[in-house]
Amino acid sequence: MGPPPIVTGVSPKEGPPGTRVTVRGEFLGKSPTDLCGLTICGCDCLLSAEWKSSNKIIARSGPGKGRGEIVVTTRSGGKGTSTVEFRGYHEMIGPMKESAVWVEEAPLRKMWWGRRGLTPTTYQHDDPLGISIEGVEQKFPEDGLHKLFPGGSGDLSSENFAAGWFLLERHHATPFDDLRAGLAFLRRKVDGQKEGQLSFIKSNVGSVMEQLDTLAQLKERFEEDVEKQGQDPTIRLEGAIKESMSEANKLFEEVLSRRERADATRSALAVLQRFRFLFGLPGAIEKNIKKGDYDAVINDYARVMNLFGNTDVPVFKKVLAEVESRIVQLRDLLHRRLEEAPTSLEAQKKLIRNLVNLEVGGDPAWDAISCHSRHLTATMMQCKDSHIAQEQSALEDGGKTPKSSKNKSTSVPNQNTDWQACVPARVLLTEELADAISERFPDFWKLGQAYFTGELQVTVAPSRPQDFKKLVLAAISLFSGLLRAALMPHTLVRTPAAERASYGVWHSKGMEGLGPWLPHCLRALRQAYSSLIRLDLPSEALDIVASLIFDLRLHCMSTLLKQAGESVRQLHTQETWNIQFDGEHGGITHLPAECERVIAEALQLAKDSVLLSEHRETPLLESEVVQRDLNNLIQNMLLGFVEVLDKLALGSDAMAGDSPGVSQMIGSPAIYRVHGSDSVIDKGRGKDKESGPAWEVRLLSVLSNIEYTRSVLLPRIADLFARYQLPAQVGPLASVNKALTELDQRVLDAYLEQRSDPLVGTIEPSMYIGNFNWDAALKPADVRPYVKELLTNLISVHAEVHSISPGLVWRVLPQLVETVAEELARLMVCLDKKFNVHGTEQACADIAAIREAVKVYSTPTAEAFFDEALEAVPRLSDAQGKRNVESVLNNFRSRMKLQLMCFRDPKAPTVKNISNSV
Amino acid sequence: MKKPNQQPALHKVIMVGSGGVGKSALTLQFMYDEFVEDYEPTKADSYRKKVVLDGEEVQIDILDTAGQEDYAAIRDNYFRSGEGFLCVFSITEDDSFQATQEFREQILRVKNDENIPFLLVGNKSDLGEKRKVPLSEATGRAAQWGVPYVETSAKTRANVDKVFYDLMREIRSRKMEDNKPGNSRGKDKSKRKKLKCVIL
Repeated sequence: MGPPPIVTGVSPKEGPPGTRVTVRGEFLGKSPTDLCGLTICGCDCLLSAEWKSSNKIIARSGPGKGRGEIVVTTRSGGKGTSTVEFRGYHEMIGPMKESAVWVEEAPLRKMWWGRRGLTPTTYQHDDPLGISIEGVEQKFPEDGLHKLFPGGSGDLSSENFAAGWFLLERHHATPFDDLRAGLAFLRRKVDGQKEGQLSFIKSNVGSVMEQLDTLAQLKERFEEDVEKQGQDPTIRLEGAIKESMSEANKLFEEVLSRRERADATRSALAVLQRFRFLFGLPGAIEKNIKKGDYDAVINDYARVMNLFGNTDVPVFKKVLAEVESRIVQLRDLLHRRLEEAPTSLEAQKKLIRNLVNLEVGGDPAWDAISCHSRHLTATMMQCKDSHIAQEQSALEDGGKTPKSSKNKSTSVPNQNTDWQACVPARVLLTEELADAISERFPDFWKLGQAYFTGELQVTVAPSRPQDFKKLVLAAISLFSGLLRAALMPHTLVRTPAAERASYGVWHSKGMEGLGPWLPHCLRALRQAYSSLIRLDLPSEALDIVASLIFDLRLHCMSTLLKQAGESVRQLHTQETWNIQFDGEHGGITHLPAECERVIAEALQLAKDSVLLSEHRETPLLESEVVQRDLNNLIQNMLLGFVEVLDKLALGSDAMAGDSPGVSQMIGSPAIYRVHGSDSVIDKGRGKDKESGPAWEVRLLSVLSNIEYTRSVLLPRIADLFARYQLPAQVGPLASVNKALTELDQRVLDAYLEQRSDPLVGTIEPSMYIGNFNWDAALKPADVRPYVKELLTNLISVHAEVHSISPGLVWRVLPQLVETVAEELARLMVCLDKKFNVHGTEQACADIAAIREAVKVYSTPTAEAFFDEALEAVPRLSDAQGKRNVESVLNNFRSRMKLQLMCFRDPKAPTVKNISNSV
Repeated sequence: MKKPNQQPALHKVIMVGSGGVGKSALTLQFMYDEFVEDYEPTKADSYRKKVVLDGEEVQIDILDTAGQEDYAAIRDNYFRSGEGFLCVFSITEDDSFQATQEFREQILRVKNDENIPFLLVGNKSDLGEKRKVPLSEATGRAAQWGVPYVETSAKTRANVDKVFYDLMREIRSRKMEDNKPGNSRGKDKSKRKKLKCVIL
């Protein structure tokens, strides 16, 4: 019991009934319900009490009058005391009276007026003197009254009414005269009342008599009754009441007993229900397990353990044992289900939760995680084994796989039709592994996350995070290792032997034909990687895959470029020697274009798949090693083309393929023969028919191609690099350029040698044809035939060169002219001035004719040789001789006009000359 | 009415001052350690509790009066029973300070005693930034009346206990003074006579 309440404050300390009073103090109750009593001036005010705190209660004062205590009673503290008092007073409130306190009119008026109505005399008592007390401002303090009239009261109805109190209370401010008037009024009223009583009886004497008669009658009747019924008429009544009571009890007893029976039945039913549940449980569990409704089973199990867990009844125990065995089975089943992968993440979580709910020992969540990990590993290993076997069988089938993929050329097929059949097993492996990782791994990881965040409602052993991390890393590195073993075995050289073996050994032959598939593999791997990134894996795990991707990109790039190099090297087989002309660069074959296409394609592929870094990948080109490799590869690729050109021009089969084109004496150009005349085949060159044009023409084509490569192709390739944002390949391009220049020189030399030897060789025999002797020459009429043949041969070379590349004419003919001049000089010097007059004239005319004809292509060296030849001839002695020479030359000019036109400078206004001559 | 025999000495304190200066707030803070934010005009509240004044257990009876002019008429009655007065004004309101003059006069008239225990209290000292009544003016007036001046804050409870205890000490010493010569009776009588005179 707590301390009793004590009231120490009241606000306000006085007021009419209904005043809102704030009571303050201590221990006024702990709660609204603790407060169980409140009296103000003896009036119970609990009904209006509003408990605010243990220090404060607000209530309405009751109708109590005068000073009185405020007593609070609480359940916890009992009845309390108060140190302050409240004074209730009845206030006159008329229309003229000011009131500082708001009197709540509606309920209060009713009470007030009602009270007045009940005791109308009170009203008169309030103002017995008939003097209005409205406007009395000052109240006489009550304390003073108490002191003045101890034991007295101002209440007119009170026994100890003190007139002085009454007057002081109400009329202490009333003037004396008014009081006197009031006294007179009172007296009058009293007199009036007295008089009024008498007259009232007088006027109603009849009815008074009637009443008396009625009273007498009543008395008679009563006495009659007493006679009839005896002194106490209630005995019979009592008996009747008792009887009816017992009857009622009887009636009720029946009802009661029925109710009791009903209750008993109901409780029996409830007990039955409970037991039925228990006995039916094993069956229910089995049914629910079959249905897969494990939650229901767990629910039932928990319920039964609650209800009967501590039972001593043997039957219950037996049933419980049965239930237990079912539950154990269920646990086993759930465990098996858990280890039976793959199931969806949600299903696994649910299973784990079920197992936890079944209070299985151990750590089902961890079991699930490790089982998941095992399964992941097993899936990947199985994938590997099956694909190795597949490839093996494919290889044994006669290399069907590589062949088919080779047939697919360089682009990756993107249609599924007959695609599975020809895709290399390793590519399939990559796809499957990537799929496995991106499908299974997220579940595995999320399960782990759920496990560690406590979502599975299991406690996590401290070593688990480390173990889980190991599992994750193991899975990822197995993934990476398997892919490396399949796609890039060379990157696994440094791994321990046991680990290496676990990644599987692929037959080295399988690597062939894998190249074109690498970008595809890379794409699959990247997809898996991005799904891993989304999982927010530890960076350690991601780094493994990232490095795998980096290596694969590198490998892919080098494979692509190597492959491009290979196909460039293969280009010579595709040479058709079809010359195409474009305005600027003369005739070229389609080879440079082919080369450009191959390179562009390779770069495009490399760019698309390899060089572009995706999210969280190291840019490939940042590494210097990679840059160097790239440079080497590109250089190699370009040099491959140079080699192709070299092979085409100077290769052994090219030489063997055809014989020198300028035949002795015949002088018909090789090009005409090759292009379809039957005589060529007759001459036994039929077997070369398909190998293309004559060697000289090939040499020229190659020369032209080299020129084109240098001036057009290389800048274009440089542009390609720029377009694919590759670093400028200055080194490789320069070295290629150098190699080309060298090759160009070699090819040109070869051609010149090829052409000048026969040309020069024919001069001497032709000069002395028909036993011509410079000593015994006749008067010359025309230049000698050898001059004509020489010129015709030169023209044929010119035509040959011009037909392929007009630009080359300027590189070829001057050289030839030099050789011809040298030979001429040699022949003239050999004669040792054994000329007769006509011989001299003839020689002068011949030399002049040749000199004039090839003037355009002449060089200083050639001029020097011509001069030397003229020196060797004796000087013309007379004017007659000079005239003869002049006439021969004129004759030559007019007869050989057409031939001479060929040697004109193509840049000179040829058209004009032709029109002149016409 | 219960009248225990061994009742400790009772000191009757009356709170006077204009409306809204914080008489009730001071009283409630002193009595119950609570600060009432809401303003609800008082009519006349009565509080009484035991306190220990200088080691002696005494009862303090606080009559918290209405500040509003509406109640001016009934003040006289209250003032008669008071043994000591806390005349409160708000330092943020000059009118309330001016009104203290009127209260002082009324108290002196009713009590007919120049040396009645009396403290001039400037409340709301926590609202220093809104001060309207200079400290000098208040102390000046207190000195003129020969009474102490204290500034309080019902909100922060600054000086709240001080004013009540100081006043109680004055009342106690005054009573001891009265008892010695035994002229308190005479005083009571004169009071009674005076009342009778009014009636007659």
